[in-house]
Formats: sequence, structure tokens, C-alpha cells
Amino acid sequence: MLRQSFVAFSIALVAATGALAKKESTVASAAAKQKQLALVRVNVTGLSYDYFRPWQKKAPFSKRALGAVLPKGRVLVTADLVANQNYVELERAESGEKTAANVRVIDYEANLALLEPTEKSFLDGIKPLEITSDTVVGDRLAAWQLEPTGALLATEGLVTTVQMTPYPIDIGQFLTYRISIPMQYRENSYTVPLVKNNKLAGLLLRYDSRSQLLDAIPAPIITHFLKEADTQDYRGFPSGGFSFFPTRDPQLRDYAGEKGKGGVYVTNVEPGTPAMKAGLQVGDIVTGIGNHELDENGNYVDPLYGKIEFTNLLTAHAYAGDVVPLHIQRSGKPMQLNLTLEHRDAKDYVSPPYYLDQAPRYYVVGGLIFQELSRQYLKEWGANWQREAPQRFVYFDHFQSELFPERNRRIVILSQVLPANNTIGYDDLAYLTVTKVNGKEVKSLDDLAEAVKHPVEGFIKIETEEDPKQIELDATQVAAEAPALQENYGISSLQRLQ
Amino acid sequence: MKRIFVIGYAALLLASVAYAQESTPAPPPVEPQVPGQQPGASRSTPPGQAVVPVPVPIAPPKPNGPIQKSLVRITATAVDPDYRAPWNAGALERGVGAGFVISGNRILTNAHVVANTRYITVERDGDPNKYPAKVQFIANDCDLALITMPAPDFFKNMVPLKFGGIPALESTVSAYGYPIGGERMSVTTGIVSRIDFQLYTHSSVDQHLAIQISAQINPGNSGGPVMQDAKVVGVAFQGYSGDVAQGVAYMIPTPVINRFLKDISNGHYDEYPDLAITYAKLQNPAQRRFLGLQDDDRGVLVSSVIAAGPSDGILRPGDVLLAIDGHPIASDANVELDGERAQFEEVVERKFRGDSVKFDILRDKQSMAVTIKLYKPWPYSLQGHSYDVRPRYVLYGGLLFQPLSLDMLEAYRLTDLRLRHFFEYFILEQIYLQHPDVIVLSNILPDPINSYLAPYRGEIVDEINGKKIRTLDELSDALAKAPERIVIRMIGEGPPLVLDRDKVAAARERIKTRYNVLQEQNLEEKPASGLASAGR
Repeated sequence: MLRQSFVAFSIALVAATGALAKKESTVASAAAKQKQLALVRVNVTGLSYDYFRPWQKKAPFSKRALGAVLPKGRVLVTADLVANQNYVELERAESGEKTAANVRVIDYEANLALLEPTEKSFLDGIKPLEITSDTVVGDRLAAWQLEPTGALLATEGLVTTVQMTPYPIDIGQFLTYRISIPMQYRENSYTVPLVKNNKLAGLLLRYDSRSQLLDAIPAPIITHFLKEADTQDYRGFPSGGFSFFPTRDPQLRDYAGEKGKGGVYVTNVEPGTPAMKAGLQVGDIVTGIGNHELDENGNYVDPLYGKIEFTNLLTAHAYAGDVVPLHIQRSGKPMQLNLTLEHRDAKDYVSPPYYLDQAPRYYVVGGLIFQELSRQYLKEWGANWQREAPQRFVYFDHFQSELFPERNRRIVILSQVLPANNTIGYDDLAYLTVTKVNGKEVKSLDDLAEAVKHPVEGFIKIETEEDPKQIELDATQVAAEAPALQENYGISSLQRLQ
Repeated sequence: MKRIFVIGYAALLLASVAYAQESTPAPPPVEPQVPGQQPGASRSTPPGQAVVPVPVPIAPPKPNGPIQKSLVRITATAVDPDYRAPWNAGALERGVGAGFVISGNRILTNAHVVANTRYITVERDGDPNKYPAKVQFIANDCDLALITMPAPDFFKNMVPLKFGGIPALESTVSAYGYPIGGERMSVTTGIVSRIDFQLYTHSSVDQHLAIQISAQINPGNSGGPVMQDAKVVGVAFQGYSGDVAQGVAYMIPTPVINRFLKDISNGHYDEYPDLAITYAKLQNPAQRRFLGLQDDDRGVLVSSVIAAGPSDGILRPGDVLLAIDGHPIASDANVELDGERAQFEEVVERKFRGDSVKFDILRDKQSMAVTIKLYKPWPYSLQGHSYDVRPRYVLYGGLLFQPLSLDMLEAYRLTDLRLRHFFEYFILEQIYLQHPDVIVLSNILPDPINSYLAPYRGEIVDEINGKKIRTLDELSDALAKAPERIVIRMIGEGPPLVLDRDKVAAARERIKTRYNVLQEQNLEEKPASGLASAGR
């Protein structure tokens, strides 16, 4: 199970070379001075939902990882580790003592989670890690792992790049450290802290064993997460709600009436987002954010990192509710718009980008299984879901803001058909988009559930965008055969709408 | 077809019985077949006999006569268009296929043997000469072609072959040809395995009747006759490569051949007409009751009617097709034709452009009859391969604009989600109504005027200077009449592509010279060569 999880996150660690071990010893001895490492083992058991049989969960998985002990008795891990968990256990590295833990805050988009032991005294005697946010290109960071004995295994690597990259939940981009480091495989290598001068500088995001490149969630993102976690209501990282394109092309600059030097061309403003509310328009040139000017590629000059994409100003450096001045040029005239930042929840998408720690919604009618399209559903096709999943649905998901600009809706799909008396002749149908049921438009499973209750002349009529366009069921027969359907296919409940 | 299936079923049953009983005391070995013996012995299985060993090797069939006097070897030199550099002539390809003489001093072969060809020579057995030949008719939708020989005496001493019918399942057939380029005739033998609708891969969009045979068929067999009882029962044309399936080859059966020969009898090949509808089987009892149908296993449901097709305005989604030309349509879409069961489209398959087909339908529970005058709807050609045409394109400022097509997608190995969607749903979502040509910025020949335009590659042109662009001609026209600044909007979000007309004009010769562009646009799908397309 463990190895599988490693493969899934493309972390396959290789054995260390002799030369490497020698180099590590200096780092290790420095860290060993600290009596009790600020590391605990984290053991997670969980159950993922089965989107192909949405009434049930998959076989349990277990993951073993490390957590960084932070002040106030909290343990920092990645969200990946504890998503869909149903039991989390902390284990002291040196004594093997164990206790249960709760997930206090989780941010899937930034891939961070905070754990708290149920036993308050469990972390006593451990000096928590401070956080250092001053890492720059050229710094050396140590990856802290644990030997089976509980001893520290530290590997040092060089920070080669600081840039904006997508995180596993692919929403926008976040600041990332890229580190060249020869990691070794250890059983608990799932969440690995990266340490500079005994202070926490980052957390392992992904590792490619072939190129020996590690991407880390950097301290500024962790700090942002922790600061918000201290508030009553965790809101998550904000976003602006517009897309942009470089203005390197002089012909495009000329067309947009841009006389200055920098700026990016606004290509899309999504309805309902901060950018729309602030009055940003397609065709505007964003030339600056706050006190920072943007170049033609959308980079500003960061005091620590130099040139980096401006989205960093709206994520690491800003919080939901902040008002950010946006300097723009509209038809050659400079203007200022005030962007009141908001976090966009997964539920605010037409096809939600993730759906974790929640049971998928579904509705079964006579053997027809209806679900709502989400990227979580598409990811059921595996790592290559973008090529393997039904292409029409991948297209809907990818172009959702263009295809469904009204936003406040779901795409209801007929995902599969269970052969039964009601579905004779329908058993080959799958992956259809539902438009209407009993003449009523369907924009969510709730719409569908309501419409199904009102058969027309004894029939439930389902209309689909794709062929065969129409499917009819006998309402009385559907009701009569529901118990047999549940029994035959082991369906605990024919619907889940909460 | 029903008869064939019934016989086939019984025969298969017997065969399985034979296998099942092999563990019982071994039957006396079958005497080795004497060559020339009646072929019936190896074919028909006396039903009363308990154990019938599968004869291996299969006994030689009845000699099919002096095939050498009918078979020819065709060497074709083709020029396949280069969709990535459409101004170039394209790559030279040379292939060998087979053909055979039929009545009227004509040679029948596969379309794929002679498609895109610029020069064809034909050889016959025992004659050292290579004779130049000409394509007279080519039917890319059913992979058949007729070639003629200008040499006056070529057909002297040649024997035209006669056509048979559909061979029985499990009966033995022999395939003749020049597999893997050999110079001498080769014969392989197999049995008829299955008769069904198949995709004809030459066009990749047409489905017709095809017969699966177990004879080995390899490149070079293409166009060769498959014989039974001295008659042609098919033309060998496609198979699977060894890593997909073994011993699966296909031949074009005589109904398809006869239809082709009849179609061209007016001096022109009109192609297969199509109803251009999609339909669903009506096997669900509740759905049948909803539609007001009786419990009589009849009818199929019309799902979509394509606007560019002959059924538009006559059939509607939701109609139930009850009968075609008086043949009742079963709820699994089959009809009985001459006592055989076949998909109801087979009725249309046997018709020609301009013919009519009559449907008895149920619309809103009312019976009525409609008549559809058949033709071939154009939008399907985008999803199939084209032959003997020059690719259409416009090159402007180093930007190559091409209409989306199967050939173009394959040439660039494009996997873009939006392009694939436009390709796959071109017909079903009626995209062709808005975009008869889906014009893709397929490639960019780098030049200072387009240095920053790479991100636009693979996008679809929507409008130029505010005008919607529906066809490549409109694009060419809009660019030719462009004002100083050309603003091209692509489908989807993204900034417009902006070009300065004067800069483009200044770069024109530079780009043409640097990339050896002979011609900046081709708007017509004109035949690539007069030789191969005389009949089009």
C-alpha cells in the first residue's frame, strides 16, 4: 500500500551513494545537537470514495509520513496525506509512543494541513520548529527523514529556482522552491520537512527521482496558511478571477493602445469573481499591482527572488478580504481598480476541481446512475485521466468557464446503467449529459431528484444532449423494482444528495 | 443474409461438437485428399456423422481455372500530399498491388492501390513488358477502382473473370495476389469466417458489408481476386497487422463490387448516399409504451437528423422508423432482405444518388409515410481521408491556415482538446453550420513579424477584423482586403492575433524564399493529377 502511494505521487527515492553519506554527516551532527527532533511520524488510514460505485468506498489505504512539530502543539503535514482520512495517528520518533490526532485545518489547494494530538501532552519535550521565510536561490536546505531507529537522516540540496508552479490540485499557481537533491527512500518519506539552520523552510511537494529534483511548498505559503489557520474561519488563498497573456508582441501592444513598457493583456474575466466586481474588462492591460510594476510577461521584481510572476502577490502576500489596487490601461488611458480579493471555493465551479473528505452525490433511478461532473470523477480514470476519461467530459471540465458562463449550476451526467428489468435496451448507455427530466431543465442533481418525482402520464422521461436524446422509464415499475435493484447490486441507498 | 447466418450457426455448433468429442475414441484418420477431388467433401459437414475432424491442411479447392490469364500485377507510384508543407508536391511512394481483368477490357483493383498515383504500370504473367495504365474510376468510399490499358492488344489472350455471390460461411476461398512485393503469383486459402458491416480503412469513415476470411492476406494481395468455384467472390483489401489479430483478413463482397460497377455505368462515380441520421434501438418496453408502440418488436427511434443530409426537414428526432421500402424494421434495427437479416441501412447501401427511399414512421403516435431523395451529405468528408486532391491552405505572414481534416490532424499529430472536439462533433453538434471549414492556425514559419505568435498555434480562427470567417475562401478574401491592421480573433479566450499589413507585405518575399514556398495559397481541392482522377 505504502509503495503504491509513493508511486502515485511520483516519489521513488533511490539509494544513496557513499559520497553522499559523508556529506550528510555534517548536517546530521548539527541537527543532532537538538535533543528531541521536532519530527513525529504520522500514520494515516483512509477510505476514498468510489466514483464508479458512488454508494460505496474503496478498500482502505494507509500512508506513513513525517510531520513537522510547530508551536502551540500542532503538526504540519501535506493535505495529500490526510485527504479522505478516517484515522490519523502520531508516533514519537524516539519512543514509538502513539496517540490519535485530529485534522484541525486543511487546505487542499495549497496542499497543507494542521494536525493536533488528542492527548495534549503528547508533544511535551519537543522544541517546535520555527519557520524561516528568507530562503533564496543558492541556499542549501536539508531534507529531514527518520531512520527506522528514530535517528535523523538528513540530505542536503541546493535551491536552484524559486518560481510559480501548479500544485497537485491544479488551481492557479503557487510559489515553489525547486531543489536539486539526491533523496533516499525511507518508509516515512511522504511528507518531508526541508530545514535551514534548524528552522522549517519548506515541505516536500513532489520529487522526481530521475532528475533528482524536489519541489517544495515554501515557507511563505506555510506562513500564510498558519496565519489564516489562527482565525476562526479558514478561508483559503485568494484569487483574482481573470486570465492574462503576455504583451511581448509589439503588434498586440500597439493594438491595445499600450504606450508604456510592461503589463499583461486581460483575456478573460470570470463572472462573479473579484476582477468582475472591480470592473476589469477583457482587453485591459494590467500594468501594476500595489506598488509593483509588471513587465510584459507579468513578472514583478520581488525583493527576495527577483523577477517572479505577479500571481505571487495575490496568493502568498494577500488574504481574502484584502483590497489590492490594480493599475490598468484601458484604450491607452491609465486607471486604477480596487480588487477585493476572495477565495473561490471548489463548490463555486461548474465542474468542481476537487471533492475530498466528502461523499459524492448520486441518484439512481431504475438502474440509471446519475452523478454530477467533477474533476474528482474524471480523476477516477487514473494518472492519465486527461486522455483516458470520456473526452467530452474532459472538454466540458477544461472549458467550463467558456461553455457554462452562468456558473451557478452543475453538469448532470448519466454515468452508467445497471442492467435490470427497467433498463433493458439501455444497458449500453453511458457518459451522457442530462438536459431535462420530465420536461424540466436539470442543472443539478437536486433538480433531477425533484423532477423525477413528477412523472408525466406514468413515465419518467430523461432527455440527453447526446444520442439517444431520450430515455423513458415506467415510474410505477421503477418504484416497484427499487428494492430488488438495491439488493442485487448491494446499493445501500439509491441516492445521496446532501 | 439470414440464411447464411443460420447455416453458419449450425456449422459452428457442429464444429464445437466435434471438438468436444475429440476425447472419445479417435476416429479413423481421414484419407489424404487427392488433388482434384470434389471440393464439397471438405466443406459440407454431413450432419449425421458423430465426429468430424477439422481437416488440416484444408484440401485444395476446386481449381479456379487459369487465374494467371486474368490476374495482373500493378506497380503504382504515388505522391502523397504533405499537409505540413502543403505547397510541396509531397512524398513519392511506390507500391505493388494486384488486379484482375473483368468484362469490357477493364481491370478491377482497390482504390488504395491507385489512389494519389502519378504513374501506373501493369504486368501480366509470362510477359516481360510493363504496360502503362490509367485510372478510369476510383471509389475511395468503398476502396474499389477500375483501370484501363491504352495498349491496344493488352487484353488479347486475357480472360475476364466472372462474379459469384456471397460465399457460405465456413466455405473455402482462395486469394490471389503478389504479397510482400513478390513477382510471381501467390495463392493462399482460407475459409469464410464472418459477414458483417466493417469500417473501410481506406477512407476511415465509410462502413459497408465486408467478409472476413482466414486466408493470409498481406500488402500486395490488395486488389487481388478471392475465388470460389472459378468465380470472384470478393476483392482482398484489408486485414489486421499480426500484433492485433492473427488470421483475420477482409474482402469486399460482390454486392459492393456490383454496386460500384453499376454506379459508374453512367460514366461517373456518384459515391454512396447516406440518410445522415442517428437512431437508437427500441428494445425497452417502457419506452415502447411511451412512444405508443405495440409489443411487436418493431421500430427504431430517430435520435439526430443532420441538417446537411437528405433526411433534414423530413425526419425528426423522436420519430419511430417502422419500415423501409416496405420491409418492416425490427426493434434491433434489422430488416429481412431476400430472406436474410441485415441492418436496415443495407437497403440504402444498395441505392444510388438520386434514388428515393420510403419510410413508414410513427410521429407523435400518428402513422405516416415519408420519402427521402438520397444524396451524399458533404460534412462527413472531413472525418475521412482525402485522395487525389491538393491540400487547401493559406499562408500569410508565415502563418499557415488549414481547414481541419483527418489528414491534417494526423499529419501534425494534433491532440488539442478543442480541435479534437471540433473534429469529433463536427457533424453531431452541427458545427459545420457555423464553420463549414474549421480553420486552424496549424503552423508558423518563423520570421521577425511573427516572433511572438507561437502561443496561437493550434487555435481556430473565429473572425477577422470583426467579420466571422466560415470558409478558407473567406479567410483568404478577408486577408487580401485587410486594412492596415489585421485583427484575428480565435475561438475561446485569448488575445486577438494582430498583424501589421505593411509589415506582412514587406516580409512576403523573404518568407517565400527562406522556406521555399512555391505557392502561398490553394483554395480549391483540385485534383493533384489528371491521370488518377479521370473518372471524378
